[in-house]
Amino acid sequence: MGEAQRRIIISDYITRFTDSISSQDSLSLKQLLSVSSNSHSLLSLADALNVFQDVNRLVKQYGEILVPLLRCLQNYGRNNLVDAYNSFEKASNAFLQEFRNWESGWAMEALYTVAYEIRVLAEMADRELNSMGKTPEKLKGAGSFLMKVFGALAGKGPKRIGALNVTCQLFKVYFKLGTVNLCRSVIRSIETARIFDFEEFPVRDKVTYMYYTGRLEVYNENFLAADQKLVYALIHCNPESKANIRMILKYLIPVKLSLGILPESWLLEKYNLVEYRDVVRALKRGDLRLLRCALQEHEDQFLKSGVYLVLEKLELQVYQRLVKKIYIIQKQKDPSKAHQVKLDVIVKALRWLDMDMDVDEVECIMAILIYKNLVKGYFAHKSKVVVLSKQDPFPKLNGKPVNS
Amino acid sequence: MSATAEEPKVAKEEAKIDLFEDDDEFEEFQLNEEWDDKEEGKEVTQQWEDDWDDDDVNDDFSLQLRKELEKKT
Repeated sequence: MGEAQRRIIISDYITRFTDSISSQDSLSLKQLLSVSSNSHSLLSLADALNVFQDVNRLVKQYGEILVPLLRCLQNYGRNNLVDAYNSFEKASNAFLQEFRNWESGWAMEALYTVAYEIRVLAEMADRELNSMGKTPEKLKGAGSFLMKVFGALAGKGPKRIGALNVTCQLFKVYFKLGTVNLCRSVIRSIETARIFDFEEFPVRDKVTYMYYTGRLEVYNENFLAADQKLVYALIHCNPESKANIRMILKYLIPVKLSLGILPESWLLEKYNLVEYRDVVRALKRGDLRLLRCALQEHEDQFLKSGVYLVLEKLELQVYQRLVKKIYIIQKQKDPSKAHQVKLDVIVKALRWLDMDMDVDEVECIMAILIYKNLVKGYFAHKSKVVVLSKQDPFPKLNGKPVNS
Repeated sequence: MSATAEEPKVAKEEAKIDLFEDDDEFEEFQLNEEWDDKEEGKEVTQQWEDDWDDDDVNDDFSLQLRKELEKKT
């Protein structure tokens, strides 16, 4: 590539940039801002920038955006990711400044690209910082920038339609940084707005939003709210997007289980969520040993996604199922005495399942089951017997969470 | 927007859950990606059982359980 050719490539980029703004061509602008797309034209631009002297003289307009943007592209091409991020952040701030002054939201898609790029460039930069033994801090910086973008969109007016997209980028940042509490103020602003109906946002953003807020509800153990949000995400998700459906199900399944609802087994196979297979089996059987084994086997995975505690609490439902099976077996033998279950018998069943508990411990478990309305009945304490109610002794959850 | 103003206050109570690497990051939908958003007929939403808690005790697990309970201690 000769000097003249390099000049043409660079001038061409600059011209396209200014033209796309003057003609309000968001699509073209978007491509010019997609630093991490590794598109052929941006890569040859980076090559050209690498050896070209005095680029800044070619820039006549929008210098506040273009000068750092070109520096970013050059650094990105050289794999200097921290420098690339720093320049992109400068360009982004200048872009946001312009965006605020534009009355309409014509550049919304370009702004989405800025919001996406700043996040992924920050992640790359943080990996670079980390590998150099320095503190990764760029993603946090990207979060602050995105908060500014949110502020520019969240008010009244035509630009509000973009607020949810930026919110989703913020969620991705906060979940990665482990600062999920920061989601709260954004959520409040989205959900309390009377001036804008949630349903008016684009579907893709609503799905992403419901996925993340659903996960937050799982962590807070609000299973009904989690169910509602994750089901929304599941229903409206692009059916072609298998990876996203799988992620929704990964959280929805434990939620459904906690409400006493089981997934069909092919769902687990199809979306490769076989880690839940034994948990479901344990619930169906009343097999406490299997539940413990399943939790142990996939402990790291469940802890990492934050569903371990949800699954651990299924134990009570498994106890309920086991006692119910004992009751049915008794009933087949002698219907007249079936509603009296001796604690000894439960101790025996548990011992068979490798759970060594004495009568007092079992009495305690039964007391919890009665208290949580998983079993209806009372104790004959002296004779160490649980007397089950003749009517509906094992109430079903029917989509409601276990009483807490 | 009030959201911006509140940020520093909330920041202090951050990081109750440490998810520094989020393995379950939702994939970006393309901006021009379109799909049928209807609720009906989506198989994935219909594959749930809420009436599985039957009285059937003829499965292997229950048969074994019955045998255990019948053993004399």
